[in-house]
Formats: sequence, C-alpha cells, structure tokens
Amino acid sequence: MDTILSLETPPEIGYARVLTFAAETLARSRGLAAREQTRFQLAVEEFFTYLAKTVPGHAPIKTVLTGKPYQVCASIRFKAANLCLGALNACCPAAPAGDLEAGEPLSLILAGRVADRFRIDCEGGDAFVLHAEVDKVYPKADTPDQHIIIRPPYRAAAQDDPGLLVLAAGLAAASYPAWHCPASFQTPGKFADMSQAGRFQSIMALDAASHPAGLLCWTRSGDKGLSFSGPFVFAPPEDGAEVARLLMDAFLAAVARETAEIVFSERATPDTPPGYFEPLGSLTLHAPGGTIEQPVLYRHLREDTGETVWAAPELADFLHGAYDRLAMCRNVMTAHPATSAERERSLFSATVDKYKATAALRPLLDGEDTQANLAAHVGALSGKGVANIFLYIDLSRSWEAALAGAALRAGFRPRLVLPFAGRSDVLVLQHDQAD
Amino acid sequence: MTRLIDLVPPHVLGFESYVPSRPDEVLRRQYGVDALLRLNNNENALGPPQAAREALAAFPPVQGAVYPNGDCHFLREALGRAFGKDPGQFLVGNGSCEVITSVIKAFCQPGDAIVTADKTFAVYEWVAAFSGIETRLVPLKDYALDPEAMLEAVTERTKIVFVCNPNNPTGSWWDKAVLERFLERLAGRAVVVLDEAYREFAESPDFPDGMDVLERHLNVLVFRTFSKMYGLAALRVGYLCGAVESVDFVRRTHLVYSVNAPGQLAARAAVEDGAAHVKATRRMVAQARGYLRGVFDSLGLEHVSGEGNYIMARVPVPDTLLYRLLMRQGVMVRTMTGFRFPNWIRVTLAEQPAMEAFAAALRKSLDGR
Repeated sequence: MDTILSLETPPEIGYARVLTFAAETLARSRGLAAREQTRFQLAVEEFFTYLAKTVPGHAPIKTVLTGKPYQVCASIRFKAANLCLGALNACCPAAPAGDLEAGEPLSLILAGRVADRFRIDCEGGDAFVLHAEVDKVYPKADTPDQHIIIRPPYRAAAQDDPGLLVLAAGLAAASYPAWHCPASFQTPGKFADMSQAGRFQSIMALDAASHPAGLLCWTRSGDKGLSFSGPFVFAPPEDGAEVARLLMDAFLAAVARETAEIVFSERATPDTPPGYFEPLGSLTLHAPGGTIEQPVLYRHLREDTGETVWAAPELADFLHGAYDRLAMCRNVMTAHPATSAERERSLFSATVDKYKATAALRPLLDGEDTQANLAAHVGALSGKGVANIFLYIDLSRSWEAALAGAALRAGFRPRLVLPFAGRSDVLVLQHDQAD
Repeated sequence: MTRLIDLVPPHVLGFESYVPSRPDEVLRRQYGVDALLRLNNNENALGPPQAAREALAAFPPVQGAVYPNGDCHFLREALGRAFGKDPGQFLVGNGSCEVITSVIKAFCQPGDAIVTADKTFAVYEWVAAFSGIETRLVPLKDYALDPEAMLEAVTERTKIVFVCNPNNPTGSWWDKAVLERFLERLAGRAVVVLDEAYREFAESPDFPDGMDVLERHLNVLVFRTFSKMYGLAALRVGYLCGAVESVDFVRRTHLVYSVNAPGQLAARAAVEDGAAHVKATRRMVAQARGYLRGVFDSLGLEHVSGEGNYIMARVPVPDTLLYRLLMRQGVMVRTMTGFRFPNWIRVTLAEQPAMEAFAAALRKSLDGR
C-alpha cells in the first residue's frame, strides 16, 4: 500500500522546511537508507526553493509525496509560463563555471542530480507537474544455486510469492545477459518489492518440485502497452521450448482482457517461441563482449482500430514504410517544427541503465536548442561510458514528432516504430555513434 | 469539488470498456478495399427468413413514433406456442447480452461469484466484472467445458454457472448425458444458465434441448437468440426461458421497452415460419465446415469445430497480424487473443464464394511467412 502525503504551501522558502521534514519522514518510514533519505529531502527542497524563488506571484504549490516499498516520489504541481528547466538536463554540468547568477540555477542542477530520475507532465496551458524519484538501495543478488535438478512436469501461472520472485530474478540475472533483464533483477529484492507494489506482474513456470523453471514478467508502458521481459528459462535445454511456450500462453491468457492494446519487448530472450510476435526491427546493443542486434517484438491483443500519428517531413517515408510492412492503418500527418520555440531551453529526461550501458532519452519540453541539447546529451552520456543511446518520440504529439528532424541532425537514426507503446505509437531512434 | 473518478467504484475503474469494430465504411477506407467480407461475428450469410423480411417490409414507418410493446407480449405468445410453454416462462431482451445482465442483477450481489469457462463467450465475465461480482474461470479440457472442474469451482457464494452449449468459440458441446449428470450433481445449488445461442445449428440427436431440460431442473435458464440462426442480429432480440418463478425474479431487474417494434415483429415471424430457413442455413454451414476443414488441413493448420456456424484455427503468426493482412484483402475474421486463444482465428461459416475468398486470402497472407 502506498503512503501518500499531500501538502499545499505558499511559495515561500520558509515552508521548505515543512516539506523536507515530511520527505525525510516518509523516506525513513519506507525503509530508505540515510543517504537516500537525504537525497530525497534535498530533491524536494531544491525543486521547491527554485520554484518559490523563480516564479513571481505564484499560487500555492501543491506537493504530493508518495512512498512505495521500493521508492519515494515527490510530485510538485506548479504553474509557469516561461520557466526554464534546462538545468535539469542530464548533460548540464554539475558544477557551473563562473558567475553562479549568470549560470544554471544551482538548486535545479542539484535536484536533477540527487533524484534517481524525474519527469515532467504538462497538464495543459502553463500547468506542470514535476516528479522526482529516489529509489531504495538493495543488496546485489546472491549467486543462485545452479545445481538443483529441474524436471517435468511443468506448470505455469501468475506468481506473486516474494521468495520465489527473488529466486527466479536471481536465476535470470545469472543465466542471461543484462540487456535481457529488467535492471531490478540485479537486486532481486527490489524486483520482489516492485512486484508487490504492482509495478511488475509475473508468470512463473514451476517444475515437479515447485522449483522455478521459468519466468516472464511485464510492466505497463504508456497508456496502452505492456512491456515484457523474458521468457527466462531455467529448465534443461530439452524442456526449454515447452517451458517457454507455457510461459507465453499463460502470459497472453493473463493479459488478453487487460486494459492494454499491445504487448511488446525490446529485450525478449532468444527463448521466445516462434509465431507469437511480430518483429518490428532491431536495436544495436554494444557491450564489452561485442555487438548484437536485439530484435524488438510486439503483438496486438485485439484488432487494430487505426490511429493518427504525426511525422516530421524527414521521417515520413520511414514511417510509411514501417506501417506498410506492418499492414497497419495510420493517418500520418505532417509535423513541422515550430517557427519559434516557446522556450529557449529544451528538456529531455534521461534514464540510464548502468548494467546495460544504455540511456533512454525522452523529450519533456521543446526549446530552441533541441539539436544542440541532444548533441550535448550524447557527449555527456558517452563520456560516462554509455554506449547505447536511444531517443523515444511519441508520435501522438506533433511537437514531439517534429523533433525528429533535429534528432537526425544530431546524429540519431530511426530504427523502428513501437505501436501504441506511448500515448500512441513511439518512434525509436538510436544514436549513430553507438552503431 | 468531488472528482468524477472518486465517484466510480473500483470494479468499474478497473474495467476496460469493449471497443467494437469500426463501421464497415470506415474499415474499408482504412484498409483501402472496396468490399468487406464479414466473417467475424457469426452472422447468417443467408440473412433473415423470408417471413421476417416480409414483416420488416410491412412495418409502417409511422409506427416509428409509437413505443413498442413493453414486454414483447405477442412474441412471447409465439414462443410459448412454438415450444409448448406458458408465455410467462419467456423474457425477451435487447439481444442475449441484456438478458445476461438481467440474470446477474437478479441473483448476484457483491461478494457473490459466477462460474464459467476461461475460454468461452466473454460477456458473462464482463458483466460480472463491471457489476462487482467475482468470476471463477475454469480451464477448458480438450477444447470443451470441463464439468468436473466446474462443479469443483462452485462454492456457497456461487449464484450462477454459465454453460455455453455449444461453446463459443470451440463448438464443443455437452451431450444429454453429460449435462444431466452435471445438473444432478450440482443439485440446484446455483442457477445454471444454459446459453444455447447456437442451438439451432446443432443436428445431433444427442444434443440436449434446453427447453426439455428446464422442465426437469427448475434452476435452469435457457438463453437463445434471433441474431444467429435467424439472421436478425441488427435488430437485437434474445430471450430466456425458465420456470415461471425464476423468470419472475429476473423480470424484476429487466428493463421494459428495450426491444424495438420491428425486432419483435421480425422475431415473431421467424419463430412461426422459419423452418425452411433453418434447413437451408444448416446445409450452408455443413458445406462450409467441410470445405474449411479441408483448407486448414491442406495448410497444416490445427482446427477445432463442433456445432455452431463457426470454425476455429490455429495460425502460425499472431492472430492480430493475420487480421490486418486479411483485412487488406477485404476479409474480416475474429481474432482469438481476447478469448484467451492467442494465435487462433474464428471464421464464420458462410456461402461457398465467401469461403473460397477467405481461403485465397489466407493462403496469400501466410505465403512466405
């Protein structure tokens, strides 16, 4: 059960203390370590301070603090007509040089660094909600006992037993390359907590002695998609295909009447049984052991009812080709970049997975510097050893679709379309440097 | 101000509204085809019986201003004559979906449960879900409803057991002996809805007739429809039949005036003068079933088909992909993922040219995949 604290305060710095005390108390109550408590407290304080200082005549600021078993989150609702949040970009230097007053606002830089991730939702007009999340720290997985003999008969069903989930996630992390696994598999306790909180759902295959013989898990992605990982098969090779099929059948039966249009996976394992999915293309993954092409799979759960999407003129041919190959009905509208952007600074969220050396960029706000900002992100991420940089563009928003032109000029190349993976279809681009 | 979302019960919030297919003209435009062959909804390709057509043609437009008879008086009388029963044993609804809703409302309250199969007509489960009633789903066994497992799933909270006979979409069916044994062992602990939407297509003498069964088992309610065999799907007329007492309970929760006047007229004509139509439809369905079995065999595709005017086949690609590939050729089939049969399609059995068009489109779609 989530713990939710909702506070509405005047935009005065004096109230920051109330918020930080609430943030610390919440983080402590959810079992976060002292360092994470402080990070969360700091993120809340810095965002609030920045808003209170920057937005003149601001109405009360509403802050909702949510405590989950594996994470705490602050959601700050505010109004800002011309607010510049560029300092939140991951490429922004952590220590601004020169005159602080003329440089990036330090409070925002700090807030962006101390939070594990953030995102901004635009609620229409000049209303925004900024979400900052800090994760609980978990121990790494123990080396699982690989000597247990797994034997038929096998059965597969929904599984939420934390002990079994920890065991199976550890087995998967030990048996499969990191790019096939959700990041939380590296710390299986987190995976179990996320499952308990409803973030993941799992199908597990058990053998005759009720030992995990396979696992497939999924999570929501956007309004209409379910993103799955797996199938992870721990049974002997001669039984692998049977276990994988059991997992897949049970998975699709479980989600067949779900509130989702599609299931997809950017990290499906080679154990995926044939005939269940449509290949959308592949992503190139660079790892210390070499480079692989990771196929991206998807299937509808029901009949496609068509959709309208936006496309930058430079990408219209690519999208028409993709939709034609998929036999998918789409009205493709032309999205032109705005002649003058509303903001000077664009903003992208960056989710980095250090285990896979991958980063996923998503546009949050348009700005005049989009191309330069993307290039700066690539430079900063590459400098940190991130070899695989992807950009996800939701084609339901014309301003987002129009960014594709700038992305191409910044060295990104279109790889594939994920139907219904966001608010609508999502275009996945990959930076050339990583190819 | 209270947010609208705070007024909605959790079981409604968590329920996904059904998205019907778009109108044919929209689909034709989307897929760039001139004509669309509808093989997705088990509609009768022969249309309504001649008598029903004439009843519809004779309906005076001016009567459009007048409310229909609220409880389908004359149609229930016709049904009573056709089945040798009291008209009070019948309750007519706007398609059988409305009757399903009325039955669940009549017998269930939050905390109660219904029992049905996991792979059967979805509306039982849907209505229960958006009414806050638990659904206990029992897996099929060899593509058929499993009577033993369904009995085991019944608890003291179970109010209704839904038995779709023949089952949609597999076409499997319980014969007289299986059904009788099931009802005896259930011993009246729950209402049994015997959904016979496709009963008129069944020709085996072993196929149970719900209209007889309900005379021996007062907890049985039989559902039938004019949408399938009688080709009146557009008019939405379905009905249930049972003991007067149980039908009376359902009637308390049932909306009157929900069945329109042309529908009542056409359905009554179909009941009274539909025998030749039934015969012709059965002939068409039998021929189509034989033809499509051959097509699927030639393609090496597993298929399942018992009674009913449909056949189900397992395809080597996602059913939802095949749907789109077939739609590009003007052929519409039912995807089965939503029935929890991923990679299966269900095809309505229709006239030979339609079956041949489907077969050609299927071969082309699978060619090279």
